[in-house]
Formats: sequence, C-alpha cells, structure tokens
Amino acid sequence: MASLPPDPPASDTDAPAPIAADTPAPAVKPLSCPNCGGTVELRAAGYTVSVVCQYCSSLLDVTHPDVMVIKRYQEAAAELEIPLGTRGVLKGVEWEAIGWLARSEGGAYPWEEYLLFNPYHGYRWLVTDGRGWTFGTMLTRLPGSSYQGMTLDDQAYQPFFAEGRAQVDRVLGEFYWRVAVGETVRTSDYVRPGFMLSFEGSGDEANWTLGELLDPGEMRGAFGVGAPPRSWPPLPHQPSPYGGIASSAFKFAGLAVLAILLLTMVFGSSRELMRQSVTVEPDAQAKSVTLGPLTLDRAWQAVTISAHAPALDNAWIDLDYALVDRATQASYEAYGAAERYSGSDSDGAWTEGDRSATTKMAMLPAGNYDLVVDLAGHNWQPGGGAVDVEIVVARGARFWSNIVLAIILILLPAIWLFWRHLRFEQARQYASDLGPTGVARLFQSSGDDDDD
Amino acid sequence: MLKVACPNCGAEVLFRSPALPVKVCDYCRTAVTRIGEGVRSLGKVADLPFDVSPIRIGTRGRFDQNASGARAFEVIGRVRWGWTDGSWNEWLLMFDDAIGAGDSPWAAGGRPAHGWLGEAMGQFMLTVEIPFDEVRSTNIRRLAKGEKVAVGAEARIGDEVMTIADIKRARCISSEGELPWPTPLGWTIDSVDLRSPSGACASVQRDGQETSVYAGRYVTLDELGVTGLRAIEGWAMPRFAAG
Repeated sequence: MASLPPDPPASDTDAPAPIAADTPAPAVKPLSCPNCGGTVELRAAGYTVSVVCQYCSSLLDVTHPDVMVIKRYQEAAAELEIPLGTRGVLKGVEWEAIGWLARSEGGAYPWEEYLLFNPYHGYRWLVTDGRGWTFGTMLTRLPGSSYQGMTLDDQAYQPFFAEGRAQVDRVLGEFYWRVAVGETVRTSDYVRPGFMLSFEGSGDEANWTLGELLDPGEMRGAFGVGAPPRSWPPLPHQPSPYGGIASSAFKFAGLAVLAILLLTMVFGSSRELMRQSVTVEPDAQAKSVTLGPLTLDRAWQAVTISAHAPALDNAWIDLDYALVDRATQASYEAYGAAERYSGSDSDGAWTEGDRSATTKMAMLPAGNYDLVVDLAGHNWQPGGGAVDVEIVVARGARFWSNIVLAIILILLPAIWLFWRHLRFEQARQYASDLGPTGVARLFQSSGDDDDD
Repeated sequence: MLKVACPNCGAEVLFRSPALPVKVCDYCRTAVTRIGEGVRSLGKVADLPFDVSPIRIGTRGRFDQNASGARAFEVIGRVRWGWTDGSWNEWLLMFDDAIGAGDSPWAAGGRPAHGWLGEAMGQFMLTVEIPFDEVRSTNIRRLAKGEKVAVGAEARIGDEVMTIADIKRARCISSEGELPWPTPLGWTIDSVDLRSPSGACASVQRDGQETSVYAGRYVTLDELGVTGLRAIEGWAMPRFAAG
C-alpha cells in the first residue's frame, strides 16, 4: 500500500483530538430524518441498525453515514404505555426503553415488546400481552432438549406453544437489526413457573430468550406500569398462587390429623373400672339393679358402658343407665339396646342385629358413682329364658364421628386450595398447544379434548 | 515499548506491543507502521463513527479461558467492521504476561499474547487466535479454500463442536490504537461466526488467501472484572466496574 505524503500538522485542525479519559462520552447521537428533517436521537449509536423517526414514522437505515429511508409511513405515533426514552431500574440495573414492537400470531393474540438498553449491560426485553410483564434476556448458550421439553441450567421447561409464527405489526424506536413490519419468525415456547424459554427462528438464525415474569409491584416501581391484579386466564409461565400453599396446607393438615389420631390413642385409651353380670328376664317387669360402686378419679372423663349378651337370640333388651354420684346424687343418664335376630329363608341362614350395645358418656366429673341399670327385654322366641348380660364400665371413650368430622374440617381448606390450584393450572394451560400436563390433567372431562 | 514521532503530525506515537506492526496516531489518525528502525505512514484512517460502546483503549480486565488461570489484559486497539445489516467492534487486547515477550505473538506458556473482545448487539465474545495448523475441521478447511459451507454446518474447534451461525462479508469501517495489520480503506473479509450450546464461540476470517481462526466464548463485562470503562453521559458506571 502506498503511503500518503505527510501532511503538515497545521492542516489537521479538523482531526478529532483524543477524548480525555475522564470526559464522559455523549449518550445520544442526533441525526436528521431524510424524510421530514426532524431530529432523531439515537440512544444506542453503533449498535442500532434501524430507527423509526418519531415525527413521521419513517423507517430509517442508519448503518451508513448517509441515513436512508427504508419505508415511509404516515401514521401518527402510537401512544405507548412506556414512552420511549423512559428509564427504570429492573434487577438492579437502569434500563432505557428504546424500541417498541407490536406483534401477533397472524393478527391474533397481539402482544407488545419493548427493547431495553443500557450501554454497559446491553439489551433486554419487556414483553406484555396486558396480563403481566416478562423480562427477557437473549441467551448466548443453547438449552438442551430433554425427554419432554428443554433444560437450561438444570431446570426443566415444559413445552407450551409449538410451531407458532410471530409477525411484526408495528414498530417504533430503534433496533439492532433490520426491523420490518410484516417480518415473520417461527416461534416455540417452553415454561416453568415464573419463567419462559422462547425460541425464535428465521432462515438460518436461531435465538433463545429466557423470560422472567416480573412482579407487578416491581414493574410499577420501575416503569410506572402495572398489570391487572388478577389477570385471567393466567399467563403460560405464571406460577399458581395456590400450588405452594396447597401442598403446605396438605402437609399441615396431615400433621394435624396424625396428632388427633395420636391424642385419641393416648387420651382415649380406656381403663376398665367395673365388670359385673346381670340377668334379664324377657317379657317380665322391668327391673332395676344397682352396680358399683366405681370411682372416676380424673376431673372430667368420658365413660364407656358396654353390655354384652352372648346368648341373645331373636330378642331385644333395653338398658337405661344412670350413673349416680354418691356424694351429690347428681345423675347422668344414657341408654343402650341390644337386639339379635336370626332365621333362614330361601337365601339360606341370616342374622341381623348385635348382641352388644356400647354407650358413651362424654363429660363426667370425678366422684364415686353407682351405676343404676333399668333392664327390660322381649323374646320373640317361645320359651326363651333369661339372658345373661355382662356390663363393663370403662373410663375413656372414642367418639369416632367427632374424629371424622374434625379430620374433614382440617382437610377442607387444603382440599379447597388444591381445587383452586387445579382450576388455575387448567386455565393456565388452556391455550397450550400441548394439552394439559401435570395436575391439570385431573378431573378433565373427555369432552374438553374436542374443543378446538 | 517503542516511542516514535508520527510521520504526519509529529505527535508521539507509542507502540506498547512489540509484536504489533501498526498503530493509528491518536492525534491525526494516520496509520503508522514500523519498518526496520523507522516508521512509515500508511495514510489516514477514516474517522470512527460515534458509538456508545462502554469499552475504550485502556480498559483493563481479566480473562480465564480454560480455568488455566486468569490473565490480566488491557485494550490497546480496535477495528470497526460493517456489513449489510449493521456493524460491530473488535477490541484488541494485550495480555500482561506478554509484556517482555519481545515480538513473539506468544506469551509465556505458549499462550497467545493478544486476544479480541468482539462487541456486537450488546454482547461480548472473547477469543484468541489459534494456529490454523491445529484446526482439523474439514468444514473450516473448506472455508479457508474459499469453498461454500452452509450455515448450520458443524465444525470442531478445540474440544468444542460448534455450529456455523452466520456467514457474512465484512468491510473495515475504521480502526484505532495498535493493530496486527493495516486496515486499508475498503478492506473486505469473509467473516464466519460459530457457536456451541455451551456458550463457546469462534470466528473464522478469510482475507484473500489468508485464513485466521479465533476461538473463545461469550463473556460479560462483569465476569471480566473490567475497569477503566468509558464514562457515558447520564449512565451510572456499573457497580462491578466502579473500582
């Protein structure tokens, strides 16, 4: 290469002097729109390839010193939720919104994407379809494909949208590629709660972006825009607000049920206080016998009185109990009955009823008691004789119906939360191209499959 | 280190790396090359178009390529490339352990004395040149011969199987600082980018009969622990570079 003759230094006044190290470089580069003459400020000069003039909406190519008009538009500038040039802090870094894209699937399911820029951190994306904001970072590595879906950094992503086609409907601001309205890319998306892994491909190019769903409060603090508090249906990567709490509720309820059963075992354990036999003459006059005494030594206790008549057959007996405190004459009454029938018919031998009767009394105060039993009976069998009845009084009782009721009450909130979780997951996955997965597959009527 | 007077404006021109033959004069933007004991002008280099790159000549950082120990570096030069759909910067790095290595392109331990910090679309790639003899990939060898290889084709470079992501013709827009070769106006090369799933990357640059292969990986300024970044009006210096 030929060397130029040296110029005299004096003629070099037009050469830019080296920038002093501590003088900040300007952040924007103004250029004049060749269509309308308006001043367009480039916020990512050096990276930006296309910019839309904010005055006449013409699409400009800024890859060469001579700015060229790619396409003239006469539309009024759109009113953006985040005006371009707005700055906000997300994930500890300040970002400036420099570009905006309105995109859709062939005109349907529209959404918007803001291009964020920070000269020290590069580009990020803010994506919304009105239901929430997702913060996207382009990946410099590729996710791996797994048995079902994709993996990135040891996290599994379930397929959600497959084989989509996203087109650009409108553009504003500046971009680091040659942006064009109508430009279409192939898309597919994979999700895990709170995150979405998105593929975009066109021709030979393939890009992966990891999106993180932002908390509405975080977004409001950063850019002054929120999201509806309860958007429905949920976003594909929206974590179920009930999932975690439902499983905690189940764990808690399980522990509570276990505790109840344990307490029942410990405190409901019985101790026999008295065992005596009486004889009932069926069809005779009711007779009254006094058994005991027996001592109840706890301040309060449940008492179980069991009567067992092993010879009872085709007969019934009634037992009216009264536990009478010897000191106070306070009487606590309860009732029991045993009946037993048997015979045979065309189906063979049959039996019905129970030779035993168990009676529970809930809260008896401490004291010395007599048990007064009024006995009556009837025997349907001619010639049936007297029946021996063994009566056992024990301290403690298990009220199974109460325990079952308690368990239901304990489980009810957990079941309700699980139901809400299920409904959320089904609504979240309704738009998925892959059909419901996980918990959302439960309680699906088969007719749902024919909806589309 | 070599200090000479610019053959054009007489200003002091400092060659920090003895292995690099060209330096663009900071004052008059004349490309100065060393010949024998003296220097010679290669003519003026086009003005660098304004950009908001956070890197500048003098930016320092540390890079650990294969967990073989971090090497401190300093940015000493830059080439700006353009293609039909944009432009990017290649910042030339000199590793500190190459100081004193004379005019050899290799530092102690046979490691390259220089590296490149590619800056495109707000992302950074740090690569070092690998000797072409060490590249076994038939696809790279075909590229070197000027044969067509499709985007998406695979090529093994070092331990990484990479995929050709991009093939483009690039034109040198401008340059500054110290350079391994002159950057004449209108100089064009064929540039091929390769990527691997792990974040490793490589580029193959073919200039006529010469083919150079550079391999490395995507990096963030944070992980390079950079200092001496360019201050940009209205933007806070990132915390990692505040020191």
